[in-house]
Amino acid sequence: MPGSGKSDDRRLGFKASQEVVVIAISVVLFLVFSATLNNFLSQGNIIAILKNVSILGTLAVGMGFVVVGRGIDLTMVAVMVVGVAFSIWISTWGIDFTLAVICGAILVAAIGLFTGVMVAIAEVPPIFATLAIASSVYGSGRIVFASDVLYAPPDIAWLKFVGNGSVLGIPMSVVIFGAVAALMGLFLRKTRFGRLVYATGDNPNAARTTGLPTRPIIVTQYVISALIAFTAGIIMTGLVTGIDTRLYNSSLIYDVLLVVVLGGIGLSGGQGGVRNVIAGTILVGILTNGMTILNFSYTSQNLIKSVILLGALAIDAIINPRDEQTSQSGDI
Amino acid sequence: MKIFKKCLLAGMAALALLGVAQVASAQETDQVGRAAYLDGVKGKKVIFVPISQGMDLNQAWVMVWQRHAARYGFTLEVRDPNGDTNAGIRAMQGAIAEKPDLIIVQNPDVQTYARLLKQAQAAGIKVLQVNMQSATQTDSYVGNDWIEMGRLEMGELAKHCTGPNAVSHKVVWLAGVQTGAANIYMRTGIDEVLKANPELQLVSDQPADYISEKARQITETVLQQHPDLCGIMGIWDNAEVGAGAAVAAAGKQDQVTIVTNGAGAATGCESIKNGLLDVIFNFNAPIQGEIAAQQISELLQHPDRKAGSEKTIFFGPITRVDKTNATGRNCWKPEDIK
Repeated sequence: MPGSGKSDDRRLGFKASQEVVVIAISVVLFLVFSATLNNFLSQGNIIAILKNVSILGTLAVGMGFVVVGRGIDLTMVAVMVVGVAFSIWISTWGIDFTLAVICGAILVAAIGLFTGVMVAIAEVPPIFATLAIASSVYGSGRIVFASDVLYAPPDIAWLKFVGNGSVLGIPMSVVIFGAVAALMGLFLRKTRFGRLVYATGDNPNAARTTGLPTRPIIVTQYVISALIAFTAGIIMTGLVTGIDTRLYNSSLIYDVLLVVVLGGIGLSGGQGGVRNVIAGTILVGILTNGMTILNFSYTSQNLIKSVILLGALAIDAIINPRDEQTSQSGDI
Repeated sequence: MKIFKKCLLAGMAALALLGVAQVASAQETDQVGRAAYLDGVKGKKVIFVPISQGMDLNQAWVMVWQRHAARYGFTLEVRDPNGDTNAGIRAMQGAIAEKPDLIIVQNPDVQTYARLLKQAQAAGIKVLQVNMQSATQTDSYVGNDWIEMGRLEMGELAKHCTGPNAVSHKVVWLAGVQTGAANIYMRTGIDEVLKANPELQLVSDQPADYISEKARQITETVLQQHPDLCGIMGIWDNAEVGAGAAVAAAGKQDQVTIVTNGAGAATGCESIKNGLLDVIFNFNAPIQGEIAAQQISELLQHPDRKAGSEKTIFFGPITRVDKTNATGRNCWKPEDIK
């Protein structure tokens, strides 16, 4: 796994961090399902688990990046669906689809830039800024596109490869998720910019006083998270041949946030990394897969999911009690 | 002399023409009852509260109704809550407060608007429900016979997945929103077919929420568990393309039959041609819209009839569409309706 450096864990003194708790629960669930469900342990099913969380995981990597810098990006799902829908929409004018995707990426980066400016320079608290921008981005898309569901042109070879192709037996959606996660991990751990993101997230005022370019850092974070959201949207379009803008109305953005927080990236910023995102993503993936196989009803699935997630947070609270030393200002 | 003759002839011709015109105007009687019809519908106010105008079926209905409204001089306002139930409740409350002549409503589920619909009827407003019913019955319902739809879809799977040549007897029901009218009534139809064909084995019954990616994930997981799966039935063609994508990714397009229903939009036909779907039970939203348009006129023509005093139901057409007939009127585009 990328970025498995020992350095930056603020809870280094505790052996069982939230991440470890989540991994432990994942392992237990994995063993229980393997023992009780036929075909759970098959290679096909393991790949299916990874494939089914690739979009959630990719989005969570972007969200995690912003949360590490003490921000939050609630625009991700809106940006994902509107960015891809925009690309498909302009491709219906006869523009080459690949070019249309590049145009979509530029639009998405511009939205990210705007969000970043609102947060970093206008200093609107990120939760409100991104909530409002998400709604206006989705609303504008809704007016322009007329339909909720937009289908990509059928004969785009590279898009088909994203949906159905594989490298060494691993589906492309998982490969892309892995690549985004690996790049982000390297970026956060190994580059100077990555370290500055931690510094900004840990204590923005101190970072600025020390002379760090906190505003450009924050703006860049939102641009990157928007581009990652767009990548997730392209994976989805490859997988199901189109994009459904109604996803904005679903609970997806909260699932993304849940994966991030569950994995152990505190909303107070400055801690955690890509490893935490992967831990959270895998737990949600195993849980959903097992319950789908067991054919649990929708209501009981939600109930079991929330009980296990609440349990993970509760165990963490017991093992790692918060006190003046571990909590920070701005902790939610 | 010649000139005089010509003038005379011209004069006679003119007179003759005038005469004909007079006879014609005398014969220009009004179509029987038309004046009363126009009088009944003109200037009336109709409010439509949909689930979301982003869906193909909704776009077809509203296009048809707007044309009808423009031709006969009533107004149609669409209050789109865009899939948000709370916004829908506010839209309904607002509509009732405005006291229009008619409210058209597409219910997100059977309970949410049930009391509001009673209130509307008590306030003397007539209510037409389209395609998605509430637990409260009102003046009229125009839409699908959902029990029949469930029966048709599972019946289609029964054809493929019973008997000695079936790959297996395993079938999947990819539901929509479990509290929605379509879901509840389709389930009744499904259960009837399952009872009649005890060898059919329903191995998964999970809601995909009308979202294609969710349908894809459920299908992919179920296919791992049941590699010999025979059939999948769903509730909306735009969502079941996800199931089709999962089946295609597993290379099992020849093995798994995918049946769903839809508004009959061209996108559904494309999905059949791409091999993502096998059969769509097409409820032809433009025709459904035309039926509802006539029902709107009927309700507006009888202002003195008490709201809720007479209850009518119209079930629209259902056409079985597969790759042999995925053409023409079975695959409409929005621009065809205008």
